Amino acid sequence: MSILSVRDLKVRYSASGPEILRGISFDVDEDDFFAIIGPSGAGKSTLIRCINRLVTPTSGEIVLYGTDVLSLKSRALRRLRRDIGMIFQEFNLVNRMSVMDNVLSGRLGYVGNTKALFRIFSKKDISRALTVLDRVGLSDHVDKRADELSGGQRQRVGIARALMQDPKLLLLDEPTSSLDPKISREVMALIMEIAREYRVPVLCNIHDVTLAMEFCNKILGLQDGIKMFDGPTSKMNQKKLDEIYAMEVL
Amino acid sequence: MAVTETMDREVGRIIDQRSKSRRVRFLIFLGVMALVVWSVKATIIDDTDWERLITSGNFLESITQFLGIDWALVPNLVSPAIETIMVATLGTLLGVVLCVPAIWFGALNITPFPPITYPIARLMMTLSRSIHEIVWALFFVAAVGLGALAGVLAIAMRSIGFIAKISAEAIEDLDPKPVEAIRAVGGSEFQVFIYAILPQVLPVVIGVTIFEWEINIRRSSILGLVGAGGLGLVFFRQLNTFNYEGVTTVILAILVLILFGEIVSYFVRKAVI
Amino acid sequence: MASATDIRTETPPLREWNRFRFPASLYRWGGVLLALTFLTYSIIYLNIPLERFFTMFGRVGELLADRYYPPEIDYVLEADYLGSVVDTILMAYLGALFGMLLAVPLGWFGSYNMTPSRHFVYPVARLVTMSARAVHETIWAILFVTILGFGMMAGVLALTMFCIGFAGKLFAEEIEAIDMGPVEAIRATGASELSVMAYGVFPQVRVAFTGIGIYTWDVAFRAATVIGFFGAGGMGWYLKRNVLQIETHRVAAILLSIIVLVLVSEAVSAWARARVAKAK
Repeated sequence: MSILSVRDLKVRYSASGPEILRGISFDVDEDDFFAIIGPSGAGKSTLIRCINRLVTPTSGEIVLYGTDVLSLKSRALRRLRRDIGMIFQEFNLVNRMSVMDNVLSGRLGYVGNTKALFRIFSKKDISRALTVLDRVGLSDHVDKRADELSGGQRQRVGIARALMQDPKLLLLDEPTSSLDPKISREVMALIMEIAREYRVPVLCNIHDVTLAMEFCNKILGLQDGIKMFDGPTSKMNQKKLDEIYAMEVL
Repeated sequence: MAVTETMDREVGRIIDQRSKSRRVRFLIFLGVMALVVWSVKATIIDDTDWERLITSGNFLESITQFLGIDWALVPNLVSPAIETIMVATLGTLLGVVLCVPAIWFGALNITPFPPITYPIARLMMTLSRSIHEIVWALFFVAAVGLGALAGVLAIAMRSIGFIAKISAEAIEDLDPKPVEAIRAVGGSEFQVFIYAILPQVLPVVIGVTIFEWEINIRRSSILGLVGAGGLGLVFFRQLNTFNYEGVTTVILAILVLILFGEIVSYFVRKAVI
Repeated sequence: MASATDIRTETPPLREWNRFRFPASLYRWGGVLLALTFLTYSIIYLNIPLERFFTMFGRVGELLADRYYPPEIDYVLEADYLGSVVDTILMAYLGALFGMLLAVPLGWFGSYNMTPSRHFVYPVARLVTMSARAVHETIWAILFVTILGFGMMAGVLALTMFCIGFAGKLFAEEIEAIDMGPVEAIRATGASELSVMAYGVFPQVRVAFTGIGIYTWDVAFRAATVIGFFGAGGMGWYLKRNVLQIETHRVAAILLSIIVLVLVSEAVSAWARARVAKAK
């Protein structure tokens, strides 16, 4: 039973501009750690952002847990978004705020405007935040400012924030591109563990094919907005990789 | 052989160029010097009453008159000093409040109607910074009468320019990444503002406000010269009664106030950064 | 026998965390409270007639319409006044020039990395710069007028002192921001300190100094338009005269001329700074 199904997704940013995504269709199942790979400009980032409608597609269909994502209005859209955790390439933390506040911001979808203004969160939320920070190994850094942390630590705050949402789907937008190779591997391993533990499917946009092959069970290969490959990692081989990356000179 | 010839030609060309540019620079230098000489003549030499200056010879005496502190005056300085700080503080705050439209219009990413509102904002900022605080003070004394209110208004108008400029730039330099993250988490637009935008902009606004407050102490200390309250009035009176030691004392008091302002400013800015 | 109600799901105790750190938060909120009290006290203490603040708008409108409009433009186009405008420009130019000439060595001595002696020269230079900066340009003007009498000499000297403070600090900050690499290289060749400045420091700061120079001239000009009010020469004197004589239409014209001139000089200096930045 697929959790997320995408049908014929098309995206064009402006009427006269090029079509970034040209009719993508695929399914994500409950236990998937789905990788999206492809050369730069293939539309990977755009595709990820369509799922939680940070980008509005021009046409197509996205159904998540039976909900038609593209038809949602603002309040329902916010409710959808709070169920989707997103982890970003450049961490997207609020640098001046503490780690704790950044993690707590994961609950903003559940908190009213006045409480958000005074940064009042329930004791349950705070307790949960501490637990989550434990899980990602940042208990010693709870009150530090986000910009005092290293890249790997910041990404772990991002993971913690996503976990706070108790997500039903995790979207990762090149989570390791800003990290060095060793830390990248650690972060991917942590995400995979957590995804398995909490039974959350993951859709991951990734640049590094080696990491994709190592951690992900299914791969979607994109090139120039078109799907070139959709299937289990075991079926991926060098020849198919070459096809996908054919346009890339380097 | 041909190689050395071309090289010689190149070297010759470079030397020519350098001496030509050197000649041009020398001519510019001469021009500037001529302007300076003429300026000095026109301003200092022609305008000064040399006879009076040299014959009266109490040149040095005038200077020594200032050396010394009028201790009796000091207790009477406390109240005007506090008044000066108050005028500076209230003026800065009023300035920040009045800044809001200028900041809104003056940031390219949030200005409502760029071709019109942006130039208006930039004009407001430029006018505020170009008109000297004395001129503002004169205007407000005519509008609301002598006293601290005129000073507060003058300081406020003078501060708008810089605070609005820096704050608008901070808004233009906004990092969109946290904004995206809070949206992705399911936050409302209000929450996006509180969590992603405000933490980026507020420290800058507070920082520049404190910076301007410190400068405003310096400004408000002399607004009394045109009747707008504070130490400037005391200064004026000491001058008019020819109490030159008193004048020095007031100046020292102003320096103390400015030092106080710098200390406070340093600590607050460190806390807010 | 265990019944369903006996099996209580053990909710683990909630973990706690507080936003308020002692004493840091105390200082912070204490400071804010202090500031607010000071503010409220200020309004009361200063006797600020808040009613006047609101009726002010009407009065300002009335002033502008009645007394200031129409501005007597002919007055500011007279030869006397225009002459004083030229004087003002020259005064500003000289003040800025002399001020900057003196500010260069002062900036050098006042820069922590390049100063010849950190224990003696540096603090003295910093003190001189800060004092020159702290004293308002109008106070300098009044002081020099008292000592030297009315006229532009007082004005030029006052502007010079002002520019020394203004440019001195900026120059020092610029020198402190340089890359020490070339400096060390030149020092290693055994060159004199002056040569080190000329070859190691100057090329790095040349462009920034020019920008600062233009900025200083701009600020000096703004001050120059007003110091005449206190007798130091320039168009400010006409302002004072007409304020005293309550010739409001002339005052309006003079204020307008000041605003126009300052805007022009600001435009010119912005253009010049852009040119210099591009030329780099």
